[in-house]
Amino acid sequence: MFFALTEDQREFDGAVRGYLADRFDLDAVRTVFEDTGGDGHPASLWKAAGEQGWLAVLVPEEHDGLGLGLVEAQVIARALGAGVAPGPWRSTVLAGEALRLAGSDEQKAAWLPRFAAGEAVGAFTLRGSAPGALPAVEYGAVADVVVARSGDGLTLVQGATATPRGSHDGTTRLADLDAATGEPLPGATAEVIDELAARATVLVAADLVGIAREAITRTVAYDRERQQFGVPVGSFQAIKHALADLHVGVTMAEHAALYAAHAVDERLADAPLAVSVAKAKASDVALQATGAMIQYHGGIGYTWEHEAHFFYKRAKRLAGQWGDADAHRVRIADLTLPA
Amino acid sequence: MDLTYTAAEEEFRRELRTWLRANIPEEWTRPGFWEALDPDESFRLRRDWERDKAEAGFAGIAWPTEYGGRGGTAGMKAIYDEEMVRANAPRTVNALGLTFLAPTVMAIGTDAQKKEIIGPLLRNEVIWCQGFSEPGAGSDLAAISTRGVRDGDDFVVNGQKVWTTNAVHGDKIFTMVRTEPGSQRHRGISMLLIDMHQPGVDARPLKQMSGASEFGEVFFDDARVPAGECLGEIGEGWRTAMLLLSFERGASGIAQYTEFRRQYDEIAAVAKRLGRHRDPVVRGELARVLTELECLRLHAMHVLTQVEQGRDLGFEASMTKLQWSETYQDLWEVFDDLLGEDATLDSIDGLDLRPLHAQSMWSRSVTIWGGSSQVQRNVTAERVLGLPR
Ligand SMILES: Cc1cc2nc3c(=O)[nH]c(=O)nc-3n(C[C@H](O)[C@H](O)[C@H](O)COP(=O)(O)OP(=O)(O)OC[C@H]3O[C@@H](n4cnc5c(N)ncnc54)[C@H](O)[C@@H]3O)c2cc1C
Repeated sequence: MFFALTEDQREFDGAVRGYLADRFDLDAVRTVFEDTGGDGHPASLWKAAGEQGWLAVLVPEEHDGLGLGLVEAQVIARALGAGVAPGPWRSTVLAGEALRLAGSDEQKAAWLPRFAAGEAVGAFTLRGSAPGALPAVEYGAVADVVVARSGDGLTLVQGATATPRGSHDGTTRLADLDAATGEPLPGATAEVIDELAARATVLVAADLVGIAREAITRTVAYDRERQQFGVPVGSFQAIKHALADLHVGVTMAEHAALYAAHAVDERLADAPLAVSVAKAKASDVALQATGAMIQYHGGIGYTWEHEAHFFYKRAKRLAGQWGDADAHRVRIADLTLPA
Repeated sequence: MDLTYTAAEEEFRRELRTWLRANIPEEWTRPGFWEALDPDESFRLRRDWERDKAEAGFAGIAWPTEYGGRGGTAGMKAIYDEEMVRANAPRTVNALGLTFLAPTVMAIGTDAQKKEIIGPLLRNEVIWCQGFSEPGAGSDLAAISTRGVRDGDDFVVNGQKVWTTNAVHGDKIFTMVRTEPGSQRHRGISMLLIDMHQPGVDARPLKQMSGASEFGEVFFDDARVPAGECLGEIGEGWRTAMLLLSFERGASGIAQYTEFRRQYDEIAAVAKRLGRHRDPVVRGELARVLTELECLRLHAMHVLTQVEQGRDLGFEASMTKLQWSETYQDLWEVFDDLLGEDATLDSIDGLDLRPLHAQSMWSRSVTIWGGSSQVQRNVTAERVLGLPR
């Protein structure tokens, strides 16, 4: 039995977190966040993602990738969530996964090495249908290529017209796309589309888990120092008990995201259940933890200057992305309860 | 990631399954069988069955062979726990001795204690009670006042314990006793191993909210215990108690998951029988609690991994206790919600609900014993998260 991250996986995690701490901290995030007219796609971070293999993680070795699994990808997603990092990492990874699972040899050869190296930006959506409108696509405006639904299949769209959509989560940019006809992905069966949705859901759950853990860690640090009534507010039992419960909840969500990634990679029989468990749990705890982050910082937590709102707003967007907790509970019930 | 057991472990599973199949009478597995039985009869059946199991080599799975254990791996112990639940095996009668006392004796007992205590415990020849809580000392264990006064080679013990599981069936009790006159709090306590079949010991049942009397109170009135029957050093009982309580983390989340998941399925079946399984509120609640159960399963794999890697989980054990006890209670609240205005009826549509209600009642206790949820939250906040006291 070995249910844990390996040494290599922990190193990957440490490398992403180390980079963000040294080179792309919350001040850098703030600059992107506040630049509402910008594309939300900082060049330095993107370069690092290409150089350090964050984008190559799931790309097969024959296409210049690392050929690793969703377990490693969720490690990166979690670390990027903890740093509320902006940029089209997830959208590019998912576009690459669509090509890997459903693309033709030519399509793979054309795009996968460029995705892996950070030379092209991808986007992936299952909302709307091409040709036609694709609503609120993550990094739709900066994507070189978009994988979208087309009837029952998937299509590779280039040159769509993008209209930016306002969103109060300033860590991610969204755009409505008006897509022309694209090249079909020949292997896009219903099963492949389900698997892509599962992979997207796991990566979003992992991002939420990263957000939630960081929210608690920062809140604990603050409440150890902040004094009221002559003692640190963290010595009050009302706060301790709430944070203890959150710690348990986030730990469970960490287990759930890790297992879901493994189950999808290994095509385990309970993978659909595992994915919904991970997303339902991660959505709930991330909203609780980021809400608590604001509450247990008091007034400062409600200000624009404080970083709590980065975490809260990103959690709020991602909690609803690829199915919110209620939607996944409906799915869990359908998978497990008698008809 | 490797979520499989080794070939040797799987072989052990097959052997155990074969034995269990041959040794659990069909009627024992029928719903409500144990609840309907006379408690003394139930105790006797379970006690004898477990002795046979020990004699067949299925006891002390991960304990060294020199103590009569099987010398198996942590994985085998997890498999054992899981298979016992799967097979509907009777609940153990010596849980406190097995989980707390025996590992402590192996760690710090004298050679004589190891010999006298562990073998008979495995074969259920001696049933052990845990005498920690007192009327004035529950969560605050250091407030105990039961006292032992040295008289020659013996201690003479006076005082009272309460909420003692197995009080009326117990043979011996490991007890926190203040053996230094006038000592305060954690100091001057000894862990005495007291024979309950003597004139100065009186065990009386206490009736629980479920109607059963699994626990009771124990009165010591000039009870005698030889000074050699002290586990750990005399006066160092607090240290012994902390070591003893640290073995609670041996509790297997995998077995708990298996058991609770089966109960979840039973509750889902009741929902269907009553036609409530299509109600979206009921479905949402069941899905929410199943999410927590699945997390418990994964957490158990995490814990097993840590144990196999030789890591000490330390205060993380509080998190495990919180997750399983709160989830279990939640599960039975969902059951009650499902019944709605009929929540207390013994039966509905000819369906006997009493065995399920018994579980529901029991779920109220799990957030109290073994350190209440409030105490576990304090430990998690202070010892794991590092919040100030
Ligand atoms: C079924 C069952 C079996 C048991 N078996 C045994 C046994 O075999 N041997 C044995 O020794 N004991 C046993 N116990 C006793 C059990 O360990 C105690 O009940 C438990 O430790 C709580 O102590 P108490 O009952 O005195 O409650 P109290 O400590 O009086 O607690 C009352 C309430 O106050 C809360 N509270 C207490 N301290 C704090 C704090 N610091 N911060 C916040 N809240 C707090 C508690 O959580 C609880 O909600 C058993 C109990 C039960 C229910």
